[in-house]
Amino acid sequence: MGGDLLVPVDDSVTLRKTVAHVANRGRDAPGRPTLHFVYPLSERLDAGEETTAAADAEELLARIEVWVEEDLGDDADQVAVETALIGSAEYLFNPGDYADVITEYAAERGIETVVLDPEFNPQGMAPLLPPLERELSSAGLDVDLAPVERPTRRNPLTRPAGLGQFVVLFCSTYAFYLVVGGTLSTFDLATGAVSATIVAGLLWRITTRGEVDLTSLAWRLARMTLYVPFLLWEIVKANFHIAYVVLHPRLPIDPRVVEFDAAVWSEMPATTLANSITLTPGTLTVDVSQRHFTVHSLTRSAREDLLDGGLERAVRFVFYGRSAARIATPRERGARTGEERTSAEETAPTEEAAVTEGENA
Amino acid sequence: MTPQEIAVAVLVAGGAFFALVAAVALLRLPDIYTRTHGASKSDTLGAGLALAAVALTFGAEISTVKAALLILFMFLTNPTAAHAIARAAADQGIDPWTVDEEGESE
Repeated sequence: MGGDLLVPVDDSVTLRKTVAHVANRGRDAPGRPTLHFVYPLSERLDAGEETTAAADAEELLARIEVWVEEDLGDDADQVAVETALIGSAEYLFNPGDYADVITEYAAERGIETVVLDPEFNPQGMAPLLPPLERELSSAGLDVDLAPVERPTRRNPLTRPAGLGQFVVLFCSTYAFYLVVGGTLSTFDLATGAVSATIVAGLLWRITTRGEVDLTSLAWRLARMTLYVPFLLWEIVKANFHIAYVVLHPRLPIDPRVVEFDAAVWSEMPATTLANSITLTPGTLTVDVSQRHFTVHSLTRSAREDLLDGGLERAVRFVFYGRSAARIATPRERGARTGEERTSAEETAPTEEAAVTEGENA
Repeated sequence: MTPQEIAVAVLVAGGAFFALVAAVALLRLPDIYTRTHGASKSDTLGAGLALAAVALTFGAEISTVKAALLILFMFLTNPTAAHAIARAAADQGIDPWTVDEEGESE
């Protein structure tokens, strides 16, 4: 339908004005256009711990519906409003991912125009808007920037942060300073406090992400301390294997590239897994895109170990708790190695189904 | 020798051994990807063992904590560097060496 508008939303400072602009535009358009407000969720929903993000999103969408009614008053019946959470089956990482879910939603409902909130920046990190605009235009959508005034030009790096972030950052910086300094003299205590204050004061809005949830952080750290010896043991074991291979007169190597979708759903777990794979000798992470890992493996047995998913399971245990450790291994989910790539590609559609089954089990 | 000295000697010997393995791997392995394996990982363990020996030598001292921190940083930065090298190679379109090729070319 021609007049329908799609608006990706996020809790930004200009959201209220963008909604007002979109409501007016809908009222002035001929016919009875539908206004779609969608909230792209950056974390996958079934990961367990992060359900508050979804609840906040639902609340925001409900508020938007009220705002539209408020703005239009008696004209409220000239537009239809629809709201939705999108992208909850994946975790969204870069502008391309956002563009993909938005384009998909638009294509399903035949929407041709996207209105962007100038402060739409759900990642809160690098500026998202210009590349997102470009991606959406190249997907064949009309993209308009809502002409709203921005109250203040914020530093794009900062995020809403509370006292918790400041304290956590201050304490860790201070502790690090004292450990490296090696003494508890008055001079070090004083300079450390000054340095930590400066560092925390400058960076507290940048370093940490979202609210600091001390209990879940503590659990994560506790599980991490279980993970480290496990990883060390894997590293030592695998190093002996590599030493054997390298020093063997015939050099029995069989290098191959393996690709698989890891069952991890946000940046930290994906990074931890990628680094752990690289640390374990015989396997080397070449590329990670979202949760798709490209891994170079040196020997057959290193490849077998990787696809048995011991490391992946351990990383899930650290970040999502014990229940997530039981998801099926990459092999059972249909990972592809160089030699069997063509046959695996034919069966690709069943791969996703296998993942879902594994998670429900 | 005290038990502590023995432990330190074992760790240093192990560290030297894995550093040597890394050097041999760099010479013997065929292409950039496989060499990255050898150079980055055996080296991480080699340096890690040497630092563990340092930590043990100093005993309960602040240097021990520093050595432990150094090990931690090595375990964070080495895989990142290895990944950067491998990814740069992949972006350049360098195909990994495989066993099949060996039969044809040599």
